[in-house]
Amino acid sequence: MHSIFAPASPEAAAVTRLWWWMFGAGLIIWLGVATVAVRAALAKSGDASRDVIRDTPTVTRRAERIVIAAVLATAIVLAAVLVYSFAVGHALAQHHADRLVIEVTGHRWWWEVRYSSADPTKLVTTANEIHVPVGVPIHLRLASDDVIHSFWAPNLNGKSDLIPGYRSALWFRADTPGVYRGQCAEFCGLAHAKMAFFVVAQPKAEYNAWLAKTSQPAEPPTDAVAARGDTVFMRNGCPLCHRIAGTDAGGAAAPDLTHVAGRRTLAAGVLDNTPENLARWIFDPSVIKPGARMPAFHLSAADMRALVAYLETLK
Amino acid sequence: MSSLGSDAAGPVTLEAGDVARDADALERTWRDRPGFWGWLCTVDHKSIGRRYVVTAFAMFLAGGIEAALMRTQLARPENAFLGADRYNQIFTTHGTTMMFLFAVPMMTAMGLYFVPLMVGARSVAFPRLNAFGYWTYCVGIGLLYVALLTNHAPDTGWFAYVPLSETLYAPGHRVDVWAQLVTFTEIAALCAAVNIIVTVFKMRAPGMSVDRIPLFVWAQLVVAFMIVFAMPAVAAGSTLMLAADRAIHMQWFIPARDGDALLWQHIFWFFGHPEVYIIFLPALGMVTPIVETFCRRPVVGYGAIVMANIATAFFAFGLWVHHMFATPLPELGESLFTAASLVIAIPTAVQIFCWIATMWTGRPRLTVPMLFVLGFLFTFINGGITGVMLASVPFDRQAHDTFFVVAHLHYVLIGGAVMPLFAGLYFWFPKFTGRLLGAGLGKWHFWLFLIGTNVTFFPMHILGLDGMPRRIYTYLASTGWGPLNLLASVGAATLAASVVLFLINVVRSWVAGANAGADPWGAPGLEWAVASPPPPYNFVHAPVVSSAHPLWETSGALPVVTGLRTDRREILITTTFDARPDARHSSPHGSFWPFYLALCMGVVFIGSIFRPYWVLIGTALSCIGLFGWGWESSRPIERERVAMPNGPVVERT
Amino acid sequence: MTSLRAHSTVADLPSVTFGQRSLMWWGTLGFMVIEGWTIALLLVSYLYLRQSAGAWPPAPSPSPSLVMPSINLGLMAVSIIPALFAARAGGRLDEPALKRWLLALSIVAVAILVLRWWDFRSLLVRWDENAYGTAAWMIVGFHSSLLLLDVLDTLGLTLFYFLRRQPVKSFSDAADNSFYWYFTVGIWLPVYLIVYVGPRVI
Repeated sequence: MHSIFAPASPEAAAVTRLWWWMFGAGLIIWLGVATVAVRAALAKSGDASRDVIRDTPTVTRRAERIVIAAVLATAIVLAAVLVYSFAVGHALAQHHADRLVIEVTGHRWWWEVRYSSADPTKLVTTANEIHVPVGVPIHLRLASDDVIHSFWAPNLNGKSDLIPGYRSALWFRADTPGVYRGQCAEFCGLAHAKMAFFVVAQPKAEYNAWLAKTSQPAEPPTDAVAARGDTVFMRNGCPLCHRIAGTDAGGAAAPDLTHVAGRRTLAAGVLDNTPENLARWIFDPSVIKPGARMPAFHLSAADMRALVAYLETLK
Repeated sequence: MSSLGSDAAGPVTLEAGDVARDADALERTWRDRPGFWGWLCTVDHKSIGRRYVVTAFAMFLAGGIEAALMRTQLARPENAFLGADRYNQIFTTHGTTMMFLFAVPMMTAMGLYFVPLMVGARSVAFPRLNAFGYWTYCVGIGLLYVALLTNHAPDTGWFAYVPLSETLYAPGHRVDVWAQLVTFTEIAALCAAVNIIVTVFKMRAPGMSVDRIPLFVWAQLVVAFMIVFAMPAVAAGSTLMLAADRAIHMQWFIPARDGDALLWQHIFWFFGHPEVYIIFLPALGMVTPIVETFCRRPVVGYGAIVMANIATAFFAFGLWVHHMFATPLPELGESLFTAASLVIAIPTAVQIFCWIATMWTGRPRLTVPMLFVLGFLFTFINGGITGVMLASVPFDRQAHDTFFVVAHLHYVLIGGAVMPLFAGLYFWFPKFTGRLLGAGLGKWHFWLFLIGTNVTFFPMHILGLDGMPRRIYTYLASTGWGPLNLLASVGAATLAASVVLFLINVVRSWVAGANAGADPWGAPGLEWAVASPPPPYNFVHAPVVSSAHPLWETSGALPVVTGLRTDRREILITTTFDARPDARHSSPHGSFWPFYLALCMGVVFIGSIFRPYWVLIGTALSCIGLFGWGWESSRPIERERVAMPNGPVVERT
Repeated sequence: MTSLRAHSTVADLPSVTFGQRSLMWWGTLGFMVIEGWTIALLLVSYLYLRQSAGAWPPAPSPSPSLVMPSINLGLMAVSIIPALFAARAGGRLDEPALKRWLLALSIVAVAILVLRWWDFRSLLVRWDENAYGTAAWMIVGFHSSLLLLDVLDTLGLTLFYFLRRQPVKSFSDAADNSFYWYFTVGIWLPVYLIVYVGPRVI
């Protein structure tokens, strides 16, 4: 469930605790005021006199004193909220020196994810899926290539906007292994509703294995169908937008496909990653994701089968 | 200057025959010319106010239809009722209609109709400006709805964030329609605001010192000031910045040319936050007279409520950054805005506790207006509490831009503005029309509306916390958001049904409802001293006021000042603070120029969407209108008494 | 219908007043507050963009020229004189003097409007080149619309006086027109200092 009610990080847990306290206090206040209002409205329902009531000074003074007391009580509750909220916010703003930096760039309508490395041949570029080791503080460096997007994975932390011309950041530490869904939370155009992502929190060993594998360039295809698919890929303009490390495809405008077959979903969380869905997507992306900037490719059935077979080798 | 307070000359009861003769003469002097031309050229604040209320309510229905379409689409996951493009146009139009074309115009309309009546005046300060404001508003409606019907409705949200709303990402004219619509509604609101301020400052009944001004009028006055300081921000942003970026390649928001995308958000929300209080405070202003009337007592804490209105207005301008907590901002700045966002709850709490104290110490009668007041308390307080939650930065970063905020904003707007508005419509319908709205149908309307509101919007709190962002045209079934969305859509249908009941009630009662008479409720305000509906001149003679509840505090004959002419449209000007009679002023007759100039505004701003030269053409056409406007009010008048700046009063022919 | 009793009469109150006793004065004040506030918001936006930019004006735009804008500023200061005397003539109900001073004000006002063309040119940058050009052009442009409105108002009032006999309240309207003129000139001063002088000095 991607919800604040299932926090998987200390950051999200702190906010959810704050929520429950505010909810409890709010419920009590609402019930209190509602009860008093109903009592006030119904108390003298038997009295049919329509004369205008003239106040006595004692009634006025008592009424004023009760109003003042209620207002003071309100102010105290608000002050408590302010202090607690500030404490949580301040704690969340403390950052750790030993953190893993991951760069996330928002595009219309997908997420570019880059892991830096001291070794330039080991840079990892992927899309729409962010693998992180459990228990390590993660520092996401956020930027946008076009319009304002917002990165939000409720299990892990609040959201942070990706604003062109600005650098923003999001910090979290996934303490429980799992797959956490997130979705763009700032209206960014036609396919805003279809711009999701997954944060995959893995134990350190699995994460390191994933990172090692993903930093490898693509293996050339071995079987004939896949090899034909490689040719279809190169001949239909795909390299203009997509990159496959280790080949001549070097486009940067669209998701990196070097390890596309290893991802859980396609098209930013819209489709499960199966060969059928891959074929459907390539055939006409705008049917699945209105406004998608990838054009339709009405390949012959044989070409499509080959292309999908080739892409399926990119694990 | 006449002085007040001394009955030394002895009270002279006016002969009924003399009063009737004056009333007839005033009727002839103040009524509109007959037929279509008289209707078009009217400057009567009641005619304009009435059509403003009806038009704004029509916009409420339009916005409601847009909401119904959205709720139909979202009722099921991956629904195909509305595609992405259409949905984006509809949610943008829904927000734009509700905020710019319904909420603010409705509140200013109620003010323009009732403020002169409540302060004992014959009209507003600038009747032609009033008409101009209304027609300009109509031009805006035409622009947006022709655009919607021709697939050109704006589609970047009611707040049109850049860079999404810049030409590169929003080509064509959709966003330009939005930017210019904002300008029309801003001009209309400013015209209303200036009229209300000057009417309240200078045209109050003799004796209506500042501590005797009705709280409805206080709320309208405070809000008028807020409009003056908030509206220019959105007009500057939408027309002078966004539209200019789009039309003539200005660089306000383009980072590559040293512009700044966040500047838009600051400018928009500097307007946007006060905007919600501009909608909310007049509604609170309606609650006080209703509670007083149906609890048979003056409100507890008049002074506190006045101060609460003023405090809310000031604080409202210091909160805007709480709409931007998810952007990269310094931590200290955020905390200040959190504190301000929490503090503003206090003056609102003051008003609520004062009303509850009034009910407690009064004799409440649960008429339909009172039911809506109770509905307001239950619903708005819920929204206020979620507002306090959203003021907390760490929590807001989870809830921002999710359906939790959609829930919050609808609880405060429906609870805090629409419910008091319905209470006000039931309360003042007799004054508008001379008939009472049916109470039975009214109670059905109330209960279905209350239930519908809660069934629609309560589930949205949960949906937001469960990960559902705003402004999405569909969602996957695997998210689990389906069931609560379906429930919300069922609630929306209930809401819609309740509004249909209200419409039936209005039509039936307007045609064949019970006659109301001048004062069906036994209320304290001056508007209930005149017939229902009021005659075109409002009061035969200006009433003299010696309390905040004139009709409750007067026994026997109502004191009035005489001496205003009946053969010319003449109004009384009083001093600003203690409302002593100070001068007489000539009020204009019906005029074509306000309508003409509103059309010229249309040429300037709608034309500018297509080619910049239309601005010049429209300006030239406007000059004709300005000349005509000035010409018609520069007719010489025989025998005037002039109070010269350095003292003496002379007669001049 | 409740009976009414006459408390006092207002028949002897003046029907034409000046200054804050007149509604038109308040309407003029309202317009000035709205437009002045709009310029303030534009100036704050200008300063916001400036503080987040590096060089200002952004390279390669030069700082604006001060020659023509200073001349126009001087002319605006001079224009206060006919405006002031027109208001005084109006307050004395002195029609011949008012007509003379309105004519003088009209001429100076039109001259200022003509020189406004060179105020724009002195910015030395186009409105679409960078944020400085954008903000400067828009602020000067918006002020120009106020200036144009004031010029039209002054010309109109002058024209009316020469076309037909004016009601007494037009004396009060002339005083309000001068009031608006002081505002138009006064609000230009912060614009001049921030947009023209600012880039050179700070």
